[in-house]
Parts: sequence; C-alpha cells; structure tokens
Amino acid sequence: MSEPAVEVRQVRRTYTSRKGFFFQEKVETEALRGVDLQVQPGELFGLLGPNGAGKTTLVKILSTLLLPTSGTAKVLGIDVAEDPRRLRPRIGLVLGGERGLYNRISARENLRYFADLYGVPAATQAGRISKVLDTVGLTEAADRRVEEFSRGMKQKLHLARGILHDPELLFLDEPTIGLDPKSARDMRKLIRDQVANGVTVLLTSHYMFEAEELCQRVAVLSKGRIVARDTVAGLRRLVGGDRTLEVEAYGFEDAEVRRLRALAGVSRIVTEEFGPKQRLTLRVPTGGLGVEEVRAALKGRSEVEIRERRTTLEDVYLDLVEEEAN
Amino acid sequence: MAATTSLGPRALLASLRVTILQFLADPQWIIGSAAAPVVFALAAFEIYRFSSPELVLFAILGGGMMSMWAQTLYGSGWAIGQDRFLGTLEPTLGAPVDYIWVVGGRVIWNTVSGLLGGAVVVGVVALAYGRPLPIHDPLLFTLLFVLVMLALSTVGLLFTAIFVYSRYAGFVQNIGEFTFYVITGCMFPILILPSWTRPFSLAFPATWALEALRAATFTPYQGLSWGVQGDLLGTLVLSLAYIVVSIGLYRRVVHYLSDTGGGSSDDY
Repeated sequence: MSEPAVEVRQVRRTYTSRKGFFFQEKVETEALRGVDLQVQPGELFGLLGPNGAGKTTLVKILSTLLLPTSGTAKVLGIDVAEDPRRLRPRIGLVLGGERGLYNRISARENLRYFADLYGVPAATQAGRISKVLDTVGLTEAADRRVEEFSRGMKQKLHLARGILHDPELLFLDEPTIGLDPKSARDMRKLIRDQVANGVTVLLTSHYMFEAEELCQRVAVLSKGRIVARDTVAGLRRLVGGDRTLEVEAYGFEDAEVRRLRALAGVSRIVTEEFGPKQRLTLRVPTGGLGVEEVRAALKGRSEVEIRERRTTLEDVYLDLVEEEAN
Repeated sequence: MAATTSLGPRALLASLRVTILQFLADPQWIIGSAAAPVVFALAAFEIYRFSSPELVLFAILGGGMMSMWAQTLYGSGWAIGQDRFLGTLEPTLGAPVDYIWVVGGRVIWNTVSGLLGGAVVVGVVALAYGRPLPIHDPLLFTLLFVLVMLALSTVGLLFTAIFVYSRYAGFVQNIGEFTFYVITGCMFPILILPSWTRPFSLAFPATWALEALRAATFTPYQGLSWGVQGDLLGTLVLSLAYIVVSIGLYRRVVHYLSDTGGGSSDDY
C-alpha cells in the first residue's frame, strides 16, 4: 500500500486563554485529545462531529495553520509542523462561510491575488483562473464584486481558490454549510469531480446525508476524540444494525421496554420524548426482528405506531456521540 | 504543482495591487487621503501664519508629515486587522509565502496614499494663501520625500507586527499617532524637547528623514547639525534596521498565530 495522504498520530491541541486582570487565571481547553487518523491517496474521507468536537482544529493543523500541542501529523509525507512551506503548494484549503474573501474586488481579482501568492506561473495564470471559474460555474459573474455574490456563489469561489494551484489534497471544512439545497447539490458534485480527477479530499461536515452520499470512509469526532472510524456500512454494523424500528406511543411501561430489549437481535434502544408521546428507536440487523414481533411484544396495544427504515449515518452518529457523552 | 521560489516580490506586488483596488473601490478614501490633510494643513498654517516665512514652511512640512503618518499608522493598524475582519488571514497565512511580503505591499500603499495627503497639504496652502513652498532644489527635495516615505513605511511595517499582539490595536494606534507628532518633531524642532526624549526621537527613522528634508529646504537650519548627508545616512541605517527587525518579528508573529490559533475567532 502506498504512503497515506494524511497520517495523524496522537495529536493533541490545547488552547490557552486568560481570565481576569490583576490576577490572571489560565484557562485551558483541550480541543483534540490524542487523535489518530489515516487517509489514503485518492480517498474522499469524511470527518463528522458536533460543534466544538475539534474538526476545524484538526483541519487547521493539517493545513499548517495551527501547531499541534503534541503528537505528529504528516500530510503527503511531510510533517506539518516541521516543513509547512514545502507542503503548502501541494494542498488546498476551503473554509466554509461568508467570510474569507476580499469583498470589494471581483472574483477574478481575488483569484489572481491568490494565484500570485501560490506562485501559479504568470504565463498560465489567466487561463487557469478562467478554467477554475468555469469549473465552479462562476464564469459569468467573474468580474462582479464579491460583495454582490450570494452565499452559494461565495462558497463556489472558496472552492475555486482552493483548487486554483492544482493541489493534490483538498481540505474542505463544512463546504455546504448554509447553502440552499440546489447550491449544496452543485457543491457536492464539484467535490465528487475533484475526487474523480485524482484529488484526495478530507471533508468535515455536520450533515450526515452528505457524508453518506460522498465519503468512502468516515470518522466521528466527539469531544476531541475519534470515537469511530469505518465505512458507512461498517459504522452501521458498529451500532448494532442497518435497520431501525421506530415505535411510538403515549408512554411505555417499564415492562414493555424490558420485553422489547429482550427480543432477539435488538442491540440498542434509544428513548426520546416529544410532547405527550414517547419514541423507542431500536437498531436491528437485516433479516432479524420485524414489525410483527414488536407489536406482539407490546401485546397488541392499538395506538402504537411502528415504522421501519434503514439506519442512517445520522442515527449512527447520534448513537456514537451519545455513547461518548455518557 | 506551482513553483514556490522567489514568490516574495510577486506577493508584494499582488498585495499592493489588491490594496489599491480595494482602496479605490471605496469612495470614502477621500476622507483619509484628502480631507484630513487639508484640516491638518489649515490648522498648522493658521497657527503659524503670522510668524516668519521659515516657521510657516516648517508648519506646512509638519502638516504634510502628520498627514502622511496618520495615514501610515492607520494603514498599519488595519493591515492585519482587515485580514482578521474579512476572514482572509487564514487563506493568506496558508499560502507558501512569508506574510511580511503581503503586509509590505499594504504598508507601501498606505505610505504612498499618505504622500498624496502631503501633496494636498502643500497644494492647499499654495492655493489658499498664495504661499508656495520655496523649494530650492526640487530634485533633492523629491529624493528626500521618497526617503521620508521609506522611513514611514519601515516604521509602519514594524507597527503592524506589534499590533498583532494587541487586541487594542486602535488604542495603541491613537497613542502612537500623537506620540509620533511630538517625538519626531513634526511641528517643531526636537531640540526644544527635554534632552531625555532625544534617544526616543533618534530611534525613529522618520525623525532623521524629516531632519534631512528640513536641512535641504531651510538655509540655514538649526537642526541636529549632522547635515543632509548625515541625516540621510541615519535614515537609511535605521530604515534598514527596522526592516531587519520586522522580518524577525514577522516570523515570530506567524509562529505566534500558529501557536495560539490567533488567526481567527472561529470555534473549534
């Protein structure tokens, strides 16, 4: 197997801030607590996690913007802390959001500026800028000021800047956050196109369906730790089943929950309350327990609603994050 | 993959270009570059208008210098601040070029736009009061004016790095503005200041550049008595020293930002 595109070993990152005026108190926040990770060349790898999980910190470390407090991180075989200058021309970074662009100048001028900073050869610069503008669908808006752009257009321009210097590896931090469904779909297609062109992509996202649609492998980050890492199918197995049964009623007796838990193949029951109703979510494997067995275990309660669906990555993610929190 | 050698000068020009484009895109530039210098010039002129012609000239030069410094200092405070504000600091720091080149381009433009202010001052006084600046050697005067710009740019460069460490850059900027007016002798010869302030005055390349400018303009001039050549040498040596210190300081600044995560205020 070839050398990993990204190799992270026991990376920790602690932020230090100070409180008070005369007697300052040092406050330390551990954003990453010993992360290990490998991404293979050509892979589209997803990094999932709630707010504050440490995703952005990890991406910033890997893109040489932030130093790890301890541990080592290598990208394309280069240690990010030891030799960032050698690595930077080979990677692209796309940070999500409205910011990160010079709003008072045009999209083309923004790209020209960054092309100069990244040393895109002057002879091919204009052609390269036109090509990436075309790739992200901004050719017609190329000479308009960025302040006139919609959020989706800005996000496309972020991506255009990220791929401008033809990087081998692209870090995408929440690339579709805040986009309308059509713009998000366009963005996902652009990301798939990059991978088809041989670019390795490490993507962070809140959106499970996005990771499910795009990523070959995912890791779930929670409170600065990777709590799971596998293919989507592998993660489904990890939480006990690729099918989910949702059972809703106006309250369940403890005995009823115990009977459901005792059914063969039920690996996990999550209880939620909403209004007067209660929902039990059961993870079950394919070919295992069905709706009729559940109904029988509840001894034919008439008002019970039972739905069966495929376990989504979101279910897996919520289970893992909840497990970590507990 | 792009070549990364000799990126610095190219990044400096790119930064200069983008700074000019952004400057021109906002019509409010007129306030800092034209309106403020007029106020400086009129105030200075009115204070000294009934004094000797030399003193009036001193005031005009001082007004121009104050205007240039105000613009340089404002630009320095904003040079990194604007990247933080716009969220462009991270993509810029992530580029394979030393950040000092990017800031250098901005500082150069800020000083040049300050020069526009200086020209406005001279023009206003000449037009409004019928007192053109009596420049005996226009070539030397122009050369020295460029030198003043260089001196101010190097001070500005150093200040930008210092501003990174302070969350109160605006406050520091205000203090710096008025301290500079006094200590460099914009409006009066530094010889009238207490002797203990002299080392501080002489530590600024702009003090030397101003002395050189005055020594070349006034005959005779009661300055530091090192003559135009001595002042010129002092300006160049100090400017070079400021650039060297700035390069070292910027390496520390970039390391500081990587170490503290100070490149953005995003969550983690």
